[in-house]
Amino acid sequence: MDIRLLRSSDLPLIQHANLENLPENYFMKYYLYHALSWPQLSYVAVDVSRPKKTPYDYPKIVGYVLAKMEEEPADGIQHGHITSLSVMRTHRKLGIAEKLMRQSQLAMVETFGAQYVSLHVRVSNKAAIHLYSKTLGFDREKIEEKYYADGEDAHCMKLDLSSIKEQVAAFAGSKGSSLGPEEAAKAGEDEDEGEPVGDVGKAGDEGKQIPSRPKEKETMRKVKVGRPLGVAGLVEKDESKHP
Amino acid sequence: MPQPLSAKENSLFRQVIRNYEDKQYKRGLKAAEQILKKNPKHGDTMAMKALIINQQGNTDEAFALGKQALMADMKSHICWHVYGLLYRHQKNFEEAIKAYKSALKLEPDSLQIQRDLAFLQVQMRDYQGYIQSRTAMLQARSQVRQNWTALAVAHHLAGDLTQAETVLTKYEESVKVPPSKTDFENSEAVMYKNTIIAEQGDYQRALEHLESIAKTNLDRLAVMELRAEYLTKLGRKEDAVKAYRSLLDRNAEHPDYYNKLIEVMAIPADDTAAKKAIYDEYAEKNPRSDAAKRLPLDFVTGDVFRESAKKYLTFMLDKGVPSTFANLKHLYTDSSKLEALGALAHEYYEAKKSAGDAKSDDPFKGEGAALYYLAQHYNYHLSRDLTKAMEFVNKGIEKAPENVEFQMTKARIIKHTGNTQKASEAMDQARNLDLKDRYINTKAAKYQLRNNETEKALETVGLFTRNDSPAGPLSDLLDMQCVWFMTEDGEAQARKGNVGLALKRFHTVYNIFDVWQEDQFDFHSFSLRKGQIRAYVDMVRWEDHVRDHPFYSRAALGAVKLYLDMYDGKALTDGANGDDKNGDAAERKKAAKKARKAEREAAEKAAKQDPNKAKAPVDETKKKDDDPDGLKLAATSEPLVEATKFLVHLLTYTPKNLEAQLAGFEVYMRREKYVLALGCLNAALTLDASHPTVHEHTIRFLHAIRSKLASLPPKVQEVIKSEFTAIAPSTDLEEYNDDFLAKHKGSVPHAIAAIKMKELVDEDADKVTGEKELAGLVGSSECTFEDAQAILDLLRGSRSKELEGFKKKAAEKWPEVTAFA
Repeated sequence: MDIRLLRSSDLPLIQHANLENLPENYFMKYYLYHALSWPQLSYVAVDVSRPKKTPYDYPKIVGYVLAKMEEEPADGIQHGHITSLSVMRTHRKLGIAEKLMRQSQLAMVETFGAQYVSLHVRVSNKAAIHLYSKTLGFDREKIEEKYYADGEDAHCMKLDLSSIKEQVAAFAGSKGSSLGPEEAAKAGEDEDEGEPVGDVGKAGDEGKQIPSRPKEKETMRKVKVGRPLGVAGLVEKDESKHP
Repeated sequence: MPQPLSAKENSLFRQVIRNYEDKQYKRGLKAAEQILKKNPKHGDTMAMKALIINQQGNTDEAFALGKQALMADMKSHICWHVYGLLYRHQKNFEEAIKAYKSALKLEPDSLQIQRDLAFLQVQMRDYQGYIQSRTAMLQARSQVRQNWTALAVAHHLAGDLTQAETVLTKYEESVKVPPSKTDFENSEAVMYKNTIIAEQGDYQRALEHLESIAKTNLDRLAVMELRAEYLTKLGRKEDAVKAYRSLLDRNAEHPDYYNKLIEVMAIPADDTAAKKAIYDEYAEKNPRSDAAKRLPLDFVTGDVFRESAKKYLTFMLDKGVPSTFANLKHLYTDSSKLEALGALAHEYYEAKKSAGDAKSDDPFKGEGAALYYLAQHYNYHLSRDLTKAMEFVNKGIEKAPENVEFQMTKARIIKHTGNTQKASEAMDQARNLDLKDRYINTKAAKYQLRNNETEKALETVGLFTRNDSPAGPLSDLLDMQCVWFMTEDGEAQARKGNVGLALKRFHTVYNIFDVWQEDQFDFHSFSLRKGQIRAYVDMVRWEDHVRDHPFYSRAALGAVKLYLDMYDGKALTDGANGDDKNGDAAERKKAAKKARKAEREAAEKAAKQDPNKAKAPVDETKKKDDDPDGLKLAATSEPLVEATKFLVHLLTYTPKNLEAQLAGFEVYMRREKYVLALGCLNAALTLDASHPTVHEHTIRFLHAIRSKLASLPPKVQEVIKSEFTAIAPSTDLEEYNDDFLAKHKGSVPHAIAAIKMKELVDEDADKVTGEKELAGLVGSSECTFEDAQAILDLLRGSRSKELEGFKKKAAEKWPEVTAFA
């Protein structure tokens, strides 16, 4: 097992893992949007011992966390959001989901100054809820009715990141050359998650009406990926031509 | 010339543009019509109208109007710009670039046109052009940091690291007020600069630079990793050791850190005890770390291995970790480790069993976990004994009948017996044990597809797709770019003889890769605004070789094979499963032959076109697919042209894939492109000279050359003579083939190859005796059911009279195998 930062070249197999495991799926551009907007926040678990079949095999992804920062937080507070988290059924009980989440949370604080992290989870997904609340310390904020496309409700969950923040700040103030707030990463680790966490990834993402899968158009607007086709220039010119 | 408009119309024109921007197409169109009523030849208005029509989906009409607009006013940059935008929409980037350049000539100060041009240039990897555009954009707005970073990126991508660094430094020097600590754009830009220094190989300077920014930089992990790397490169071992230890404190599940730590500690490779001590130290520190516990098993041997493996196995099985076998199976390539692990698992199992295992609350812990491990152990190809595997899995099922894992493994074991029917049923049973889990649903659908139950499989996956589209689950799978389903379904359809649907699925995968490539377009501007430069460069470099992914290769090889069969007149037609319903094979061959000459010419033309230069997209209008069942694809009169389209990417991006080279040989031989075929053959020889198909290709090539060489152009003759070195041109091929057979005695795949070649090289041999010999292989004790399946496919392809008799014998020998039933 290898837990490491996500790279662009991982995306086809991340998408594949997502399609195999979870009902909320995304097209490639949405993954790219995460990878290129907050490259510090998304992590993968890789099966490194898998024998290669061709010289072109990509590392097999057995788990991933796809995370983001909320771009326009309604409450005005910087915070992270878990778009999708998934661990293959065959790789449960290794604590992978928890390890992925802890790496991501640390980076949310360090790089983007996140105060808390939020996520959605299906109310029926007991194993995931157990992981989030018991192992990772998330609180249930509220229920969002009919959040999922099939009509299921979502728990809206939140984890305060101030303890990690303190660790990071303490480190930044200290002089030592060795880095890394290991304490933060280990906080709460003593509890074994016990339950299988393989299907925890049923967390949705933003967008109330289309929680799991923003329409292309909507993504474009929200994400500011696209832009109007060259008309600004046309307007500019037109006015100068006809004063 | 631009025609002047009246003041009223002028304001109308501005309204058209506003409407277009606001996507109020109907209103915009109305306003444009109003202008055109009075000024029917007003180029700019015509151009804007074309743009709006294009947005509404009438691409052809828009293009015609765009052309007319240009004819009406060749001196208008608006017309040229729109013309470029229309080309861009059609994904004809080459022509779009030309049009933008014309527009820019007329209006050199337009930032908008310059931007549009620049992003197309980088999309097309015209780095020199991109540098030019970026330089112009920087000159126009040098106060914006993005423009400096962008120019540096342009130089970087073009390979000029020094220039890239210079540009970044120049900007830094121009800044009077130091940027704030939370300025992410600055934090990332300096990290980007740091990696550029390091890429130049100057690690000393890179380290100094890194230390100067380390304290305030927001990307802590990158700082730590790069620092460790530079210290290592500079030989500062003590510091490097500390750096890697800090990284391990942060993430003890990253094998790379352990390897690097051991490297900088200068522990000799054979001092396994010292190496293991490092891992043990971290295993102690992080009781939950899997890596620290498991990784030493890779390098320790003998008794130490046995002891460590026992500890690991006991820990994992006690805990009931389902991935225990998956975590260890790579060790099975070492036969002593394979044996040790098997024995340890048995020991553990026996001990737990005799201890009675005091009815654990979790039937998957302890004894149950051991059963699960042993079932997988005997199912694995290196330690396979399917009878034992089945025994253990059945015991497991008895113990925990509701457990998905046992039932799923049972299905996998059955699959290995060749009984795809029963395997599919067993996996569906597993699915029924946990209807809310998509993973097991996916597996069940996959097993159905392997058993050619295509409709059922679609129903199965449909339980988890979003079904708000009337087109059913397939449309959701398409939207979500579900490559695995397209590929497996394509292969199943091909086996069923549904050529059209099979081609349809493989083309879908091809198009998904087109989309993935196109996806990067918006990020050329987006990433600069976001400031995440390193991630962007990483993405660009990945996109450069996106088609080397096995997802592409597999679908492409499937498509090429179908097209070859079509060309040979061998493709199974609907519902055919060996029996020739559709008339005489010879007749079909004749028809196929007729098309060949014309096709070869077309193929040549296609090959000359750069596959990266996309032409008008095949199915751009996503709303309505005018060929959902692939009937048009199957009706192609040019299968080799289509095959080449898939092949070119295979050979470009995956030249070390043997299957790709073998496919290349087949296509190029049929196209009588002997130099290219020879290139594939030589590549295949380097990859695996003893592969049976490579043997076939060697013989077929020499055989073809003997009769054709004289008719080829002198230059081609020369190349072939000097490049074909596999065997002497004078080789007696019959003897050569016989030697090959003798050399590989006992290997059925090699025997198949030799028998196939006999017909070609042995004057006394004929098709019928060859087929008889092939069919006779079923009696050989070495013949596996997979070999027999390959023979079955051959006999079916040649519509042999031996087919039925062979199938019967195979069914007697392997009653379980669905393919012979």
